[in-house]
Amino acid sequence: MIESSWEPKIVAFLCHWCSYAGADLAGVSRMQYPPNIRVIRVPCSGAINPLYIFKALREGADGVLVSGCHPGDCHYISGNYYARRKFYILKELLVWAGIEADRIHFSWVSASEGQKFSEVVTEVVNAVKPLGPSRKLVKEFSTDV
Amino acid sequence: MFESILIDLAKKLLREKTVDLIIGYGSTHYPFRTEPIVINQEEQADALVWNPFCGNNLARYLKYYKNTQHKIALMVKGCDSRAVQVLLKEDQIKRDRLYLIGLSCPGLVNREKLQKQFPQASPEDFEWKETGWFYHGEQIDPELFLEKTCLRCRYPNPPEYDQLIGKLQTTSPYQTYQKDYLDPIDNLSSEERWDRWSKEMRKCIRCYACRNSCPLCYCQECFADSTQPQWVSPAPTPSDNFLFHLVRTMHMAGRCVECGACERACPVSIPIAQLPLKVEAIIREQFQFEAGTDQESAAPLLTYRENDPGDFVK
Repeated sequence: MIESSWEPKIVAFLCHWCSYAGADLAGVSRMQYPPNIRVIRVPCSGAINPLYIFKALREGADGVLVSGCHPGDCHYISGNYYARRKFYILKELLVWAGIEADRIHFSWVSASEGQKFSEVVTEVVNAVKPLGPSRKLVKEFSTDV
Repeated sequence: MFESILIDLAKKLLREKTVDLIIGYGSTHYPFRTEPIVINQEEQADALVWNPFCGNNLARYLKYYKNTQHKIALMVKGCDSRAVQVLLKEDQIKRDRLYLIGLSCPGLVNREKLQKQFPQASPEDFEWKETGWFYHGEQIDPELFLEKTCLRCRYPNPPEYDQLIGKLQTTSPYQTYQKDYLDPIDNLSSEERWDRWSKEMRKCIRCYACRNSCPLCYCQECFADSTQPQWVSPAPTPSDNFLFHLVRTMHMAGRCVECGACERACPVSIPIAQLPLKVEAIIREQFQFEAGTDQESAAPLLTYRENDPGDFVK
């Protein structure tokens, strides 16, 4: 059973140029959002290897958020376009494999969108919470036969 | 008949020094099986065979010749030829070093299925004609004994070859089997799909036969072998097994030629080709790309369109 005190742990991969700065803006503007995310800063959403996402889930993350610059705004011109294709396939594959779709989230947040960042995090946490602790893909599940 | 044509061709290639070596199929003492062989002498050519048990994708072996100067003749079925196309596209080997012996392929026979259906059968009891498969002169349903990946084959003819053995097939009898073996899984609920895959992943012993039989898994060091960082535990726990297969699937995205070599290599009968096959289906539908038949357009994950699907992003 899900204990009432349980809070999801969500790994957030934020791109250095937009989403990380957006998160920073949300912080300095003192916007409120749930403290469930653990941020990992990456150079670009296009630099996120799908392996990182699988690995996060395998290490016990209850959810994963990937956030980058809006299409057309990538600091490296097109990294987020490549990322979008990759993540589209990744998400379809994970869902087809039977992982809950609501555990994996993608968003575009620009450096000026502190407000949107806090909304996205709230939305993600609200989506992950009802699913309860992640069980699938977590390494301990090997013992739960 | 086709075998003698093949052997004559092989002898000619070696005699005239068109190629230095031939990678082909040879017979083994196991029934319903063949083994990959490499020959470089004319007199060895008699060992070559071509039958519906030639399951290995020989394009796999090209990686060992990447840094040599050999001219290589390779026996390629439709799917194998597609794998060679991908290797050429990824600049793993030069076309002028290859001589492709194309094989018009009626589909591979799955020996477990066969022995179940026709326990007394020997390979000679079967005959492939242009109209279909025959067992002692009687036409039979290919679904009873063909490999699952072959039942959905869309390329019985190699897209590229230097010399074709057999006749180009105008119609594939399996066109009637267009019902994809992924369909039943697509129709399951998310939980059922998870149950199914977690059951399969518990079987996996992570022998890496799927990776090692794959013509396109040619990385010098696989992420699964890396110890720093260690992405997957070497112990074959179900979660690590699934992590390995999911990442391998992502690495195959837009590259898998659907030959099913991984599935045939699997010692615990996991239908492991289904993962990359599903991804290829997504890529065909969304990005209009098919590996090994399209040498012009960029590989789907190396390009993008501004109007790519993006509704899943907040």
